[in-house]
Amino acid sequence: MPTITLDRDRFSAFVGRDLSVEEMAKWLPWLGTDTEEVGSDYVKIEYNPNRVDFCSYGGVARAFRGLMGWETGMPNFEVKQGNIELTVDKSVADVRPYVVSAVVRGLNIDYEAIRELMEMQEALHWMVGRDRKKASIGVHNLDAVEPPFSYVTCAPNEIRFVPLDKTEEMTPQEILEKHEKGMAYKSEVDWASRYPLIVDRNGDVLSFPPIINGELTRVVEDTRNLFIDVTGTEMNAIQRSLNVLVTALADMGGTIESVPVKYSDHILVTPDLTPQKMKMRVDYANEMLGLKLSESKTVEALQKSRLDAKRVEKGVLDVTIPAYRIDILHEIDLVEEVAIGYGYFRLKPTKPATVTTGKQHRVNEVANAVRQIMVGLGFVEALNFILANEVDHYQKMRRKAENLVTLANPVSAEYSIIRNDLLPSLMRNLADNKHQVFPQQIFEVSDVITFNEESESRTEQRIHAAAVSSHPTANFTEIKSILEALLLNLGLKKWTVKEAEHPSFLQGRAAAVSFKGTELGVVGEVHPEVLNNFELENPTGAFEIDLQKIIDATK
Amino acid sequence: MPELRENEQKTLLVLEKLKGRAPVGKIIEISGLAHAAVMRAALTLTEKKLTTTHEKKQILIQLSEEGRSYAEIGLPERRLLNSLVKLGGEAKVNAAVEEAGLEKKFMSVALGWLSRKGWATIERGVLKCLKEPQLGEDEKLLRLLSEKGSLTVESLNQKMQKAVIVLKGRQLVETEEKTLRELELTGKGWSLVKKGIKLQEEVSQLTPELIRTGNWRTAKLRKFNVKAPGPEALLGKIHPAQQIIQRIREIFLEMGFTEIRGSIVQTAFWNFDALFQPQDHPARDVVDTFYLAHPEKGKLPEKDVVEAVAATHENGWKTGSRGWEYTWSPEEAKRLVLRTHTTAETIRYLSEHKEPPVKVFSVDRVYRNEKLDYKHLAEFHQIEGIIMDKKVTLQDLMGTLTEFYHKLGLEKVQFWPSYFPYTEPSMQSTVYVPELKTWVELCGMGIFRPEVLAPFGVKHPVLAWGGGLERLILLKLGIEDIRLLYKNDLGWIRRTPVCQR
Repeated sequence: MPTITLDRDRFSAFVGRDLSVEEMAKWLPWLGTDTEEVGSDYVKIEYNPNRVDFCSYGGVARAFRGLMGWETGMPNFEVKQGNIELTVDKSVADVRPYVVSAVVRGLNIDYEAIRELMEMQEALHWMVGRDRKKASIGVHNLDAVEPPFSYVTCAPNEIRFVPLDKTEEMTPQEILEKHEKGMAYKSEVDWASRYPLIVDRNGDVLSFPPIINGELTRVVEDTRNLFIDVTGTEMNAIQRSLNVLVTALADMGGTIESVPVKYSDHILVTPDLTPQKMKMRVDYANEMLGLKLSESKTVEALQKSRLDAKRVEKGVLDVTIPAYRIDILHEIDLVEEVAIGYGYFRLKPTKPATVTTGKQHRVNEVANAVRQIMVGLGFVEALNFILANEVDHYQKMRRKAENLVTLANPVSAEYSIIRNDLLPSLMRNLADNKHQVFPQQIFEVSDVITFNEESESRTEQRIHAAAVSSHPTANFTEIKSILEALLLNLGLKKWTVKEAEHPSFLQGRAAAVSFKGTELGVVGEVHPEVLNNFELENPTGAFEIDLQKIIDATK
Repeated sequence: MPELRENEQKTLLVLEKLKGRAPVGKIIEISGLAHAAVMRAALTLTEKKLTTTHEKKQILIQLSEEGRSYAEIGLPERRLLNSLVKLGGEAKVNAAVEEAGLEKKFMSVALGWLSRKGWATIERGVLKCLKEPQLGEDEKLLRLLSEKGSLTVESLNQKMQKAVIVLKGRQLVETEEKTLRELELTGKGWSLVKKGIKLQEEVSQLTPELIRTGNWRTAKLRKFNVKAPGPEALLGKIHPAQQIIQRIREIFLEMGFTEIRGSIVQTAFWNFDALFQPQDHPARDVVDTFYLAHPEKGKLPEKDVVEAVAATHENGWKTGSRGWEYTWSPEEAKRLVLRTHTTAETIRYLSEHKEPPVKVFSVDRVYRNEKLDYKHLAEFHQIEGIIMDKKVTLQDLMGTLTEFYHKLGLEKVQFWPSYFPYTEPSMQSTVYVPELKTWVELCGMGIFRPEVLAPFGVKHPVLAWGGGLERLILLKLGIEDIRLLYKNDLGWIRRTPVCQR
């Protein structure tokens, strides 16, 4: 989750009151942030990705003032009509079709502000831009270039400019191959025949979106006027990013000025900070929250969340949402704003009125019966991952791997398949416990997953039970007696045992167990080669049964 | 007369026979007692001042693997000399080596020792035999060791002892320090022995035979040293994590919840799309979620449900929501994943059980593409509870959670605003853990968004909460490395107490 470190003095200045770190740490969580760290003169908070406006001091301070009741209702941001134009060339449609822009003047940029600006861009790139794919931002020193500006394309090696943090001129192609940012984000443009560029009237390069800005327009201390471009693949995403950014800059003391963005067939004047409007029913909010707030109290709560609300008819409010609140999708989001404005700390736990009786799932009921019986027989329960590997589950078990359910992106070779039986995991457990006291008797009851073309998920999940008994005198008779004690106590009668062949078991010491004509599983002495494969020295009896079949048969 | 056990009596008698002093090995040999039994007897007898124990350090020598083979075929220099003699007492080095069948790597060793021992000279590649020597002390020692297996240095004469040093230098023998214990009768011991010890057979195991015949009345039952540590009893046991799962299931059942179970393999549709998570959401990325390679894709549910979900993502459908404003892809929704939360099954259950009230829970496995370390697992458990009813509220959710925590022994609970993609309003809860003297974040919760419920025709509010089980287990068991939970270390499972709060 994204974080922001709020320096006490600077945050106090944004809030307009002298705050202590204790006050900050006490109240900030009620806005829905997590306190990560409290220092002597700062508080580091983690905020949720829906609240992108918390990426700036201004954004957090706005909400904080509202929560404390020091300033409520919707903050107003004025956009002055500007005349710096940005012309959009048709050719950008083939690579990165959209751009919006703004000018912010009269800032006092210091070291702190530059850092905040960079962090805001990072946050917006990640949360709204989906790592620059949908939207990416360029912030420029307006006074270093000459308007009007153009959003154009160029051939990969058509021009040269000095990219940010470098001293040598490079072509866009070279940037993609050699510059750190170029290598990191090249997949956004390298498939296109021409690359996007933002240039001024003289053809000087402001940026090569979404890769890198030019060194020419670097924002430094004492930069006063900014030109901002936001390019991307989705118009809504770039507009919202711009709105969050310019409102934060306005809170830093800047004046927002609009930019006419001239597309081939229309002119778009941005930023557009027109508030969103949405209706909210007071009853709906009360029903969801369990409160009985009046219309006016509801309006008050919304205002503390920095929204405006007006009664339009009985029980219905017309809510006005500032342009930086890009997270409000539905009436239900306003209900949460009511709760935050009212204060989560004022909510009181209540009990739901309906009385119900509980019921456990039949599978777990039977699984627990197996656990009780196996523990009674002296077995220790193992809990293994369902994620497994082919070596343990097939090669070492002397089996051919067929129709495995496999991961496309395993985190390691050790966990690359989904197991379809338990026994190999228990063999692995024995191998890991060689230094422990013998006898070792281990069981597991767990889900296994097999391939099944017919089902919705093309797989089938079943519950199995398996056990191993490993010690110097372990043999077929012992493990068979154990299995039969289990079956008897699960309520089965008249199961049949017949000799079976199984690659993991000794021929002549392995049997299939069936009930009502269905094969439940296998019991036997583990093949010495399997024991060798797991580097085990004790004879080992083992069984594995499909518990699902027992559940189905004893319904 | 002090009361003595049978083994102690036997030890004293053997000592008498051996004139009052003997090494432990000898006592074992004559008494026929086990080593441990004699050692225990020696301890008690010495404690009672009937004997004294003398300890002597001894160096035990044994052949190394190489030494054993030389004992058989002869030292390299001896073999080389023999072949030289065979070749007439003078030969080229290579010829002699070949005749001896000596491996190249031993050649320089053999030549070195030949000249050191003064058996032969070497000049311009020609070996000349000087004498045909008797067996050296080193060779005698090799033979002796190969016959006896091991010897103590102390038992050898001075010459042989020197040979030990030589052979050890050549790594043909290995030495090991051993403590030799001898027992000697004290004056008190002698006087006891002289009075005569009447050996009475002791019974250590009470047998059915003794009980049935009543012979237990006359038998002398050996006293047990009650303080002596015995072997560990090996108990069968439910895995500690499973025990906590059981407790949590019980709490849900006590609170009137019905248990549900579902598939670990889900389509992205149920895991993400049905829960209104947009298809470009970072949580859906391959760095966070496990996708299947085989099978790769599953099937989508009936058309109208899929269409409703698609429209809700694209433009909010008829929910009044703005939606996520993108083009929804059915192919993306078909991809199979290992469920990242049990909520994938919850929403499916709700789509099939629309009549209120519904109170369900699950404690089951979920997956995240994560490298294993002490804090993270790729496969872990999620606790989830759901209430759907005509009139349930966020405050009811807080009340339910409070009760849930109380039953777990967590008395102090706080609720904070939070965010989850499929709930609104959302909350995070923290609980105070007295043992750690700190607040810990546990379950997250909220009311399902209308965008989640409407496509499935669910008309009433749904309260939901969930959290990781492992975190709770770590708190309860007081362990720090999460990997220990699934290592299945038998020692750990057997020794972790069953009963903990």
